[in-house]
Amino acid sequence: MELVERYVAAVQRELPEQKRQEIGRELSANIMDQLDALKEQNGQLSEDDIAAVLKQMGRPEVVAYQFVPPKALVAAEDMPLLKHLLYMVLGVLFVVQIVGSTTHWMGSSEGNLIRFLLQLTFGFLEDACFAFTVIVLSFAAVNSAGDRVSRSGGKDWSPKLLPKADLGWQHISMTDVFTDLATCLFLLIVIWYPLWMSPAQIADRSIMFTDNALLMMQWFSPVVALSVLFSLWQLRQRIWNRSLLLGNILVNATFSAFFVALALSGPLLQAGPVEIKSLFTLLQLEEGFTYGLLITACIPAYEAIRDLFRFNKLN
Amino acid sequence: MTTSQLDKMRLELRRGVLVLAVLASLKQRHYGYSLRKQLQDRGIDIDEGTLYPLVRRLADQGLLDSEWQQAEGRERRYYLLSDQGKELLAQLTDEWLQLNSALGPLLTQDQSGETE
Repeated sequence: MELVERYVAAVQRELPEQKRQEIGRELSANIMDQLDALKEQNGQLSEDDIAAVLKQMGRPEVVAYQFVPPKALVAAEDMPLLKHLLYMVLGVLFVVQIVGSTTHWMGSSEGNLIRFLLQLTFGFLEDACFAFTVIVLSFAAVNSAGDRVSRSGGKDWSPKLLPKADLGWQHISMTDVFTDLATCLFLLIVIWYPLWMSPAQIADRSIMFTDNALLMMQWFSPVVALSVLFSLWQLRQRIWNRSLLLGNILVNATFSAFFVALALSGPLLQAGPVEIKSLFTLLQLEEGFTYGLLITACIPAYEAIRDLFRFNKLN
Repeated sequence: MTTSQLDKMRLELRRGVLVLAVLASLKQRHYGYSLRKQLQDRGIDIDEGTLYPLVRRLADQGLLDSEWQQAEGRERRYYLLSDQGKELLAQLTDEWLQLNSALGPLLTQDQSGETE
């Protein structure tokens, strides 16, 4: 019977502490009953017979999982939200890392491309690991409390609220919402860099925003924060209605106007404490940034005009 | 249909029914092995890895009462349907009978598949 004891002990080792004693006791009793029945049929049992019975029961870890099934870290319903959130955060971190590494590379006297790529890769991996862990653990904490992150209002739902079949655009895509959220998050990180960058890091910059450009962006940040809230509202609604469309038109028009105003208010960039040692001069970078802003302004402008048409269609 | 597909669907089909079978069997007091034996004798073959955890889960949900007793020189945990379990079993039995009476004609109807 030593084999049975070894088997039960192996099962117990895979169980949570508080359930080991009771499940082990019951499992042992059940196995002994089964062996007794076999003994009645076949006479005295050899160690091989006992081993065959235990083998048929299954591996100890499998038996333990059957008694106490392992719980998923993240609920299946939350997986789409988790996936989009990870894409968004990791995407923003990657872009921030590119901006940080590039400006540092431009200021460095060596201009070593390999070092730049290594700094970019390891810097991103470090941030990504931290972000991934925090996000997954947050979802796991909510899941272990028996709740769902993506729980949406259930009973007040009505098929009458669904858009017409030929108006497919009325469904708000999760990818669009998270792209907007990622953009806003990135803008806030860039605008408020003096808050999260150490004085040593700032002193290491070769290019900086001018005071005027930075002030304009900081004054604009409440609109960006409002846009974040608006995206979260979209995430909850998931269907465009007239009020949501109107809100989106206003947000996009404001963004577009701001980008144009910022582009025309130059100069936007100034030399930092470290001398620029790049292929481009400050003037060229200034021009590139200005044109970049003007091109960027076209995207929200296009979305505002598109939503205006959609707004009229919903009449 | 492949064997694995059949196994998977058979498992799904049996999963819910096993709860009903176990609850119905435990109108009388049983310990783990005797319950398995009884089900087996009635044509319901269920492996230990499924039955014992299922019984414990039902007991945790308050559907079964249990107590440890010494019998034949060994301790055994006996299970019996609780009041809550009896109530649930009655409801599930009604559900099963309704389902069965609706399903029966569907399964035995003419193989041509024609509908009236």
